Order: sequence, then structure tokens, then C-alpha cells
Amino acid sequence: MAAGIVPQTRSVPLALRNLIANKRRLARSVAGIGFAVLLMLVQLGFERGFFDASLGIVHQLDGDIVLMNKTKYRFGSEDPFPLADLAAARTVAGVASVVPLYATWLHFFWKSPSDGKSYVVQVFAFDPAHPPFLLPAIRAESGRLEQPDTVIVDRRARSYLGMASGANETEINGRPVHIVGGFVLSPDFMSDGTVMMSAATYARLSAGTAASATALPIEFGVIRTKPGADIAGVVTALRAAVPARLRVLTKSQLIAFERAFQAKLSSAGPIFWMGALVGFIVGMLISYQVIYSDLTDQLPQYATLKGMGYRTVYLVRVVFAQAALSALAAYVPAWLLCLVVYRIIGDVALLPLRMTLAETLLSLGLTLGMCLLSAAFAIRRVVVLDPAEVF
Amino acid sequence: MAVGREKPRTPDLNPCELEAPLARAEGVNFFYGVGDARFQVLFDIALDIPPGQLVVMTGPSGSGKTTLLTLIGALRSLQQGRIDVLGHDLARLDPAALVRVRRHIGFIFQMHNLFDALSAYENVKMALQLAGRHSAAEMRARGVAMLDRLGLGHRIDHKPRALSGGQRQRVAIARALANRPKLVLADEPTAALDPDSTRNVVRLFKELTVEDGTAILMVTHDHRIIELADRLVHMVDGRIVSDVILNDALRICEFLKDVDAFKALTPNELTHVAERMRRRHYMPDEVVIHEGEAGHELFLISEGEVRIERGGREVARLGAGEFFGELALLSGNPRNANVVATQPLEAYVLGEADFQDALGASVSFREQLRRVYFLRH
Repeated sequence: MAAGIVPQTRSVPLALRNLIANKRRLARSVAGIGFAVLLMLVQLGFERGFFDASLGIVHQLDGDIVLMNKTKYRFGSEDPFPLADLAAARTVAGVASVVPLYATWLHFFWKSPSDGKSYVVQVFAFDPAHPPFLLPAIRAESGRLEQPDTVIVDRRARSYLGMASGANETEINGRPVHIVGGFVLSPDFMSDGTVMMSAATYARLSAGTAASATALPIEFGVIRTKPGADIAGVVTALRAAVPARLRVLTKSQLIAFERAFQAKLSSAGPIFWMGALVGFIVGMLISYQVIYSDLTDQLPQYATLKGMGYRTVYLVRVVFAQAALSALAAYVPAWLLCLVVYRIIGDVALLPLRMTLAETLLSLGLTLGMCLLSAAFAIRRVVVLDPAEVF
Repeated sequence: MAVGREKPRTPDLNPCELEAPLARAEGVNFFYGVGDARFQVLFDIALDIPPGQLVVMTGPSGSGKTTLLTLIGALRSLQQGRIDVLGHDLARLDPAALVRVRRHIGFIFQMHNLFDALSAYENVKMALQLAGRHSAAEMRARGVAMLDRLGLGHRIDHKPRALSGGQRQRVAIARALANRPKLVLADEPTAALDPDSTRNVVRLFKELTVEDGTAILMVTHDHRIIELADRLVHMVDGRIVSDVILNDALRICEFLKDVDAFKALTPNELTHVAERMRRRHYMPDEVVIHEGEAGHELFLISEGEVRIERGGREVARLGAGEFFGELALLSGNPRNANVVATQPLEAYVLGEADFQDALGASVSFREQLRRVYFLRH
């Protein structure tokens, strides 16, 4: 390192010098720790993607308050209630509109135009005049659903469903339907594709007869409040007004409800956390190995520093600083690589993988944590070092 | 022990000055192991290391030299006895204070133990920054000057891997000496050096003792260093078996301090006398002074014995620490007796002019000599 280029600092940056002195060891350490970081980031990304995917449709609900059955344990579990229960909600002050939303996850079999096989799909049905979704494509195309036996489909559904194949005709539950439009959502871990239709078409397809939709139970009541209304107040009033079997949630409460199910009740959250934990442990073992062997190589040097009059605190600081620096050195490339991995996996698995600030900070914290923790395990060697040994 | 003189320390070596030793060991015993495995490696060690002395410690391996070095260097805790270093009683210092004492000692270890990741200068800077009293630019200047002094001016920004073994050892020496410590402890510092580098390093050591009054305690068997040492301490089986002053002026000083006639002299005057004395040897029965000759020299017996004969008859015998020949110098008369060595004699000899200088410089010295003169006549 040429003098003159390097600024004259007050004290020798020993930790930094130690880190970059041995290029081969640095490469090994960056590769090893970086791999662990990537593992953690991917697991964290999967978890977030999983949530984002299952929450995607919930976010798209066009309402301030949602009514659903109290016994329903998650957004996508089928647990309908009578349409008549919504009547009381319409009388509550501050309520602008109440839109019934039919849904099923179990009973509609979509015949794939691609391979001709039948697959269970997620289905939502509503009054085409009042689509309870925010997606612009749905709002734009819902008018076409007034025609009987018409559907619009998720163009980003899993490819084997053939929803993006350009086919205009197929069958649901053995009855022919016309595909009249599409929107872009994404599959999640429960459903591979989504189909939307009018309540009338829904009734015809589910009952197999042209029975009235009003006889069928619904999954949700999507409520919009009047501009300026106190939402908490409306929620309270609704709870008093609607039958006791119904749960009244604001949209954000519904999102939290779904997130809590994913994180706590479903096995998905723990699985990803286990993955992240494995990454953390692998990273710790690797960084411990790196720090330990570096310390072992330099024990006489550290003992010499003690002999010269350096306090143990200084040596401990150097070791921790070196651990933190190696964490950063591994983190940056791993983070960049992760963007590429997200892109690839996201495209292949149709998962909404994205790097967020929270995830960046969390993974950075974990990376620093694993390196500092392994430094803490290795530090004993320096602490007990006897300077008399080097004479 | 110390003469409490409050004058600023002059950098000149003043071998007769009585100064507080920079390191002093007293009654030091040291053991390794515990229980049945416990064995003693140091026995009742007493050693004073005054400023300005280059003290070389020799002895077979396992004789305890290195252990003593680490004890004095505050690298090991004391078990029995007392060690004072740079004015601190080591036994009474807490660990943090011991660490601070080490910062004022220059350690040169047998292994250079340089950081591979740091350049030669940065390794030296590790010592400089510890002193905490220099700006970055000053540290650079000092570090570069010290490396330059050791012949490494062209290797300042090289990493240890790019240096030869001898060059690395010199970087380690530069690191130990960069803060100009008052006390230097070294263990075989020249083992890895070629003859040229060794001469260079030894010159630097000598320079530090003379110019800065640095005390250096060094374990070495390198004759090139021993030749220049002021003192040679030999250890065998954990005991100091000999402690010899090699520097003539130093030796004479030590000797003069115990001679009554010289006790009244100030350290400066003693130094003046000591530096002008020459050592001379006589065989048994050799005549040192012939009766009737003109007398131009004063003799001081350091070892051996002489017989004074007047008119062929023995009148007196004088031994170590006694002097003769002053009468002719004081009176200007010829020698009034023969002086004959009875056994191998080592004497320190002071010429007439220097003798007269000493007389003129010190009233007390003149009076002391007169008293002896009257006693003898």
C-alpha cells in the first residue's frame, strides 16, 4: 500500500489491515459468510414473498371494513354466512355501501386450456356493477361479466392453468365459460390461479342450476364508509348491529389477521425462520472458523502487543472490529447477489420477491450478530494470552 | 540509595554519578509449577541497573535469564522479593498499572512477532501510537528516522513478508526503541542479524546508553555485543554467579567510591579522576617504584599487595583499596622507598598533571591526602 495515497491516520487500522492482508483468506471468508447471508436473505425474502402473495388479494379489497364469519380462521378458508346478515349493516350510520363477495377455494374446477386437466382455483364473484376490488383491470373489465358464463382470469397464474394462453373458451365444473378479460395478480401458496365472475354466473356454476345468487351464502361483506366517517366508530356500531356470528374488521385488521395466521398458525413462518436460523448458524460456524484461525496465526503478535503495554480491551476491540468488517465485506456482495436471485426465483416461482429496507436491516443485523457472536466465542484466546510466553 | 540531587539529567555518561537505578531486583525467588512439580528457577536475585549501562546477561539455557527479564519487564507477576522498575514497586501495582509500566520499557523479543498485515512503518507505529503524545506527522517522522537509522530507510512501506529475517528483526528493534524508552529489555536481539547489521544495531544501543542514559539489559551470547557491554552478569542455575564491570571508567569509579581518600569527591570529580586513570599490571616481585627516582604517578591498588622497603628493610604492606606514591607528587622530592609487588598486582595509575588537576579541583581531596600524608610520616 503506497504511502501518500493512504491518508496519515492517527492510529494504525489494525483490524482492517488484518482483514485485507491475506487475499485468499478474505475471499474464503467473504464467500463463506456471504453464502450464509444469501441463505438468510433468501429465506427472509421467501417469507416476505409468501406473505405478500397471500396478502396480495386482501390488499386489493376495495373497502374500509370487512365482515366475515367469526369462525373463519384465515382469509382463504371457506366459511360462508347468509347474504341476509348484511342487511343490518346497511342501516348503520356512516356506511356508504355494503358489497357482498362470494368466494370459494374448494369447489370450482378449472379445465386448463393448456393441458385439458382440471384444477381447483380461487374464485371470487360479485355484482359486476360494484366490483369490490381495487385492481384497475378488474374495474375496467367487470362490465363484460354481465354476460352469462363469462369470467376474467389472472394472467399471472401458474402457467399450466393456461390462463395466459390466449384461449377464449374453457370449462368450469364441466360447464363452458367464456374468458372475456384478465388482470394481474399472482398465485400464492394456497391457490395456483384466480378467476372472477358475476354472482349470477357463480350461482349457475356452483349449483349446476340457474338458481338465484341470493340463495347462496357469501364469504365477505365489503363495506365502504362515507367520506369523513369515523371508521372505529362505524366498526363499533356495526358490531352492535350485525348478527353476533360475524366478525367486523377494518381492512388493516384483516391484513394483520391474515399475517398472524401465516406467521403463527401455518407452518410457513417457522419453516422460513428455521431456514434463516440455519443460515445464521452456518454463517456463525464459518466466521468462527475464519476468526479463530486468524487469531491462532497471530497469537504471538497479540501477545507482543500485550507485552508492549496494550490493554486487553484494545485487543478485544480489534478482534470485534475485524469480525464486524468481515461481516460487512461479506454482506454487500451477498446483498447484491440476492437481488439477482430474487429476480430469478421471483420469475420462476411467480413469487413477489423484493428487497425491502426492513429485510436489509434485519439481515444486516443478523450478519453482524453472527460474526460478533463468533468473535465472542473466539476472544477468550486473546484475553487469557500471557505476554511472558513470547520472550 | 539515590543521591537526591535535583539537577536536570545531562545526557553525558557519568559513570561515577550515583543515580537511582532504573531497575532493581532484591531477594527475588521464582518458582514454576505447583505442588510436587514446583521447582525454583531464580534464587535470591539482586541486581541494580543504573541509567546509561549496557548490561549483558549470559548463562546456559535454563539458567533463568529470560524469567528474570520477564519479571523486570512486568510481564510476569512477582512471587517473592522486590523489583522496582522506573521508580515503581512492581508488587504494589495493579494489573492496569503494570500495563502502563510496560509502555515505558522497550522490549526486543527473540521472535520479531511483526504483524504481517502491517508495513514496517506501521509495525513501528503500533509502539509510537501507544505513547499517545505525537501527531500523525511526528510519528511518521520518528518512525521513518528510526527505521532509517537501522538501515531500513528503503523498506519503510514493505510488509514483513517482503523483508529478510534480519530486516524483520531490525523492524522489531525499531519498534522497541521508537519511543526512546529509558529501559530496554532484550532477548538475543541480534540472533538473526548479519555482521554488518549487528554492528549497526550495537552502535545504536551504545548511542542510546551514552546520549539518552538508557539502561539496556540484554540476554546475548554475541561477542560483538559483549565487547561493548558496560557490565556482564553471568547466571547459572538461577543464581547470579558473577557481576563484572567491563567498562574501565565504570570499574574505577566503583573502586574509588570505596577508597577513603576519594569519598569526599563529588561524582563529577570522581569521574574526572577515573577517566584519567590507567590500569597497569605487575608480576610478583616486580618493582613498582624505585627509591630515589623522581615520582610522577599515583598508584591505587585494585587487586594484589605490595611491600614498601626503605633501605632494604620492609616497612609496610599495602593491599587492595590503598594507594601509594602520593608523597613525591605532593613534595616534589624523589621517591623515598622501593615498592615491590608481592603477588600479581593490578593498579590504577594517575599521572602527575591529572593528579595536580584533581588536587586543584577539590579542597577536600587535598585535605584527605594531607591527612594520610601525616599519618604515614
